[in-house]
Amino acid sequence: MRNLLHRIARDRQLLVLFIPCIVFYAIFRYGPLYGLIIAFKDYSVYTGILDSPWVGFKHFERFFNGPDFFVLFRNTFLLGFFALVCSFPFPILLAILLNEVRVRWFKKFIQTASYLPTFLSVVIISSMITDFLSPNNGIVNKLLNLLGFESKYFLIDPAWFRPIYVLSDIWANTGYEAIIFLAAIAGINPTLYEAARVDGASRLRMMWHVTLPGLMPTILVVFILKTGSMFRVGYEKVLLLYNSMTYDVADVFSTFVYRKGLLESNYSYGAAVGLFEALVAMIMLLGANLISKRLGGKGLW
Amino acid sequence: MVGQRRITIFGVVNALILIAVAVSTLYPLLYITAVSVSDTASVTKGEVFLWPHGFNLEAYKDVLFDQKIPRAYLNTVYYTFLGTFINLLFTSVAAYPLSQPQFVGRRFWMLAIVLTMFLQPGIIPNFLIVQKLGMLDSVWALVIPNAIWTFELIILKSFYENMSAQIREAALIDGASEYRILFNIVLPLSKPALASVGLFFFIGHWNSFFLPMIYLNDQWKYPLQVVLRGMLIFHEGNSSSLVDASALAPQAKKNATIILAMIPVLLIYPFAQKYFAKGVMLGAEKG
Repeated sequence: MRNLLHRIARDRQLLVLFIPCIVFYAIFRYGPLYGLIIAFKDYSVYTGILDSPWVGFKHFERFFNGPDFFVLFRNTFLLGFFALVCSFPFPILLAILLNEVRVRWFKKFIQTASYLPTFLSVVIISSMITDFLSPNNGIVNKLLNLLGFESKYFLIDPAWFRPIYVLSDIWANTGYEAIIFLAAIAGINPTLYEAARVDGASRLRMMWHVTLPGLMPTILVVFILKTGSMFRVGYEKVLLLYNSMTYDVADVFSTFVYRKGLLESNYSYGAAVGLFEALVAMIMLLGANLISKRLGGKGLW
Repeated sequence: MVGQRRITIFGVVNALILIAVAVSTLYPLLYITAVSVSDTASVTKGEVFLWPHGFNLEAYKDVLFDQKIPRAYLNTVYYTFLGTFINLLFTSVAAYPLSQPQFVGRRFWMLAIVLTMFLQPGIIPNFLIVQKLGMLDSVWALVIPNAIWTFELIILKSFYENMSAQIREAALIDGASEYRILFNIVLPLSKPALASVGLFFFIGHWNSFFLPMIYLNDQWKYPLQVVLRGMLIFHEGNSSSLVDASALAPQAKKNATIILAMIPVLLIYPFAQKYFAKGVMLGAEKG
């Protein structure tokens, strides 16, 4: 105890600098966790968090027994799953191809172009998607018409929602995600390439037998961590692209919480759904971290 | 290998694939630029593919004299600068005590902070806190509840840790306070790292739409992204717009707004690039 007091006295200036941080995390990161108790209450703005009556698991029962649960779970899972699996190879491929470029300015140009979309907002990206897919004068439908097909109403067709979501994800994230793989390639021991060349390996073979195995640890860690955050889908883009015609495939936990909980002021019900989502996401993330560390890689921290 | 410039089939195929990547990345941007300056008739007929048809700046004039857009633009500038400043200040100061190995309670604080990356209670509890603090409908709702970004905090902490401890010890022996050491020595030496995380803050605020959308009611306070959303979102009960959202706002005007929204981002892009890649790597390497 004396020791602790002594250390506090010694670090008093550091503690003063640290106070805003403590206050911030207490209020804005742990405060909302306290607010989650409304998931077990019938919260209304008038009674406040403390004085609202306890209702136990009422909201959870309603949610799990209702039709929404299955749809939301399936949509969130599938959207996250497809986005992960379909987009995962592209940054790796891009990094490997970029690594083979010997002309510096060309490499730099491609890289510069490829991570430009990272700087664009989801609103802008979604706006471009609606423009490109417009049945009147969208460029995609113009092309279809040229090839002799009818115009398609992509954004109100449930079958197209997931492909559109995944493809635009690939467009937006590939360049940015390639950075980490490029750095990993740069770390591969050059003598391995020398040895392969002496053995008469072609560049393709070197890609396959040197670059790819050298990348494997990074690929594994990134894959595991991305699996862990699979449940945190890009609900902002969903929110911008979905509509009542596509709710059935597009509605995910967060968009549901926003619509039913926030817009329709069912705070307690929304908090319950949000809590469930947070728990699933947390378990997946913790599990992924654990596996990643077991395999000798790095965790999230 | 270096200096070898033989043209091989492999090299050509590789270059073609990469050019295809660059084209598919840049094409949408060129297209919306072309639409924004083409003449109205060509746009409605869908004749624009890559190059502008005709040339007029009507769309930009529309934007400039629009009721909402110029105001929203100024709002975005204001929110972004204030938000980035607050982020930089809070995050860079908070990272300093955490970077000192002997700092009292360091392990506990780190655990408490990292845990928040896993426990994310969601939209509604956050909303209730902001409401409770009376921040709704004000700029504070946008900048205070996210004053510190955990990931960036850890990046800065690692960066400070890699700084020579001798500088700090020398300064302490000279009688400098921790405040002086932080503001006069550590922060100036951390400019590259601050530029990296600052860039992420800037882009984050400039592009943010969800939080302003739920925290602001007054249309005068909307930032650009929220106004832009209003130009593209499907409106329930309006069947014609459900079928084609692009009919809501004239396409050229919408694209002109997008271009204007992208300009600051494109302006800092050349500078940003260097720091951007560095920031990603700092994040990946932190131990």
